[in-house]
Amino acid sequence: MRLPPFKVLEPGTKKSALLTLDKHNKNLKIVAGGTEVVVMMKLGLSAPLYLMSLKKIKVLRGIRKTKNEVIIKSSTSINEILQSPLINKNFKSITQAAKLLAAPPIQNRATIGGNILQDTRCLYYNQSEFFRSGLKPCFKVGGDICHAVKGGKRCFSVYQGDMVPSLISFGSKIKLEKKDSSRTVLLSDLFTGKGENPFSIQPNELLTEIVIPLHNCNYGSSYEKLRIRKGLEYPLVSAAVFLSENTDGNLDNVRIVIGAAASGPKIIENASIYLKRKNSSDEDVDEIANISDNLSEMVNNLSVSAAYRRKMVQVVTKRSLQNAFQDLNKGG
Amino acid sequence: MYKKTVLLKINNEEHIISTYPNRTLLEILRDDLCLTGTKESCGEGICGACTVLLDGLPVRSCILLVTEVEGKEITTIEGLSGGEKLDPLQEAFIEYHAIQCGFCSPGMILTAYSLLKSNPNPDEEEIRHAISGNICRCTGYAKIVEAVKAMSEKGS
Repeated sequence: MRLPPFKVLEPGTKKSALLTLDKHNKNLKIVAGGTEVVVMMKLGLSAPLYLMSLKKIKVLRGIRKTKNEVIIKSSTSINEILQSPLINKNFKSITQAAKLLAAPPIQNRATIGGNILQDTRCLYYNQSEFFRSGLKPCFKVGGDICHAVKGGKRCFSVYQGDMVPSLISFGSKIKLEKKDSSRTVLLSDLFTGKGENPFSIQPNELLTEIVIPLHNCNYGSSYEKLRIRKGLEYPLVSAAVFLSENTDGNLDNVRIVIGAAASGPKIIENASIYLKRKNSSDEDVDEIANISDNLSEMVNNLSVSAAYRRKMVQVVTKRSLQNAFQDLNKGG
Repeated sequence: MYKKTVLLKINNEEHIISTYPNRTLLEILRDDLCLTGTKESCGEGICGACTVLLDGLPVRSCILLVTEVEGKEITTIEGLSGGEKLDPLQEAFIEYHAIQCGFCSPGMILTAYSLLKSNPNPDEEEIRHAISGNICRCTGYAKIVEAVKAMSEKGS
């Protein structure tokens, strides 16, 4: 498979990158690790006129700690996150997600920014041009048909990023910069929930930082992922859990994020209603598992059936909850 | 599309290549430099046949743009052996019958080589995790794990 022609741009500074992005806008794609964009171009799913490399911009790499936060720059590789004592110590489920992401050779190149902004996927979309040439254009490519759901009125492609559920569960924000301004928003607000256009990011905006708040209380976290084999798999469903307790020993914060169950991550907003105590009953946990199932929008568009994924979303959520409770009881 | 001149450091040799930017490192290695030990299979970064070392770490050369690796140290399977003399890890793969059709072997060996450099005594789980991105359809992995484990026991 050969790549289509494009012009490569290699700005040396962030400012220059933002100007370049503003100038070429929708005609430009960004390459950091390249593990997503190059594959998309090889499959003919993306054909930008310009490809902007971030390799020369050193300020977009690295992990640092401030008084209340840890900041991961967007071009930091997944392997660098795995090796970071700062992340390992403070954000267990983020390390777990990084370790379960694809396989080590991908982790060595893939960046956290690229992983967050990876496009939604579908069995009928992430295919070769030859395969797709036999199908009518679907919603994902601007058509008016869904091949996964007969009579479907929208795109059901699945957001399968590994890092996002854990990052959201810790309450992370992201910094988006453009030529003359920047904005910091909750990572959860980046997602539109729409398969056709999954991110609320402008074409001239660059994701530069992921900001994870530090927690001073006792807390536990966990990330669980369903996959067919142990390496090189996108999650078929995943669940990240963050639990924290107050000085009375009661849970005061429960955040559960379900991944690969819809076109964006699904957050169980009211989890703390069901889980108030550390020794929550099995019924409470079952209720959370039921909610995870109700939130899911699964159809037959991944390598296993929607029915199986719907069963497993409950199992994965329960496992992740149990592991987070264990982590909490160990002291985070 | 314009050609670009790129300086590549491959197996301790410098190469100045004039190339269109839409070419991958794998294409340059195989088509321009005749380093055909690096294999192409899926072309989508899945199978691991095209694995090379970039600054000592295994990466997929089939989805790595050549312009992205300028100035970095690249090691291919040809760089592991000293001419006709094989690296001890390659010898171990032969000794333990860890090679059948051989198509995955260059990538598999380089991945294992990188693991042993950073962790000279990996346990079986660590070995299996390290090679989890390299697909082998012949051996069932058991012989490959044995070969790598033998090297760790020898203290490679």
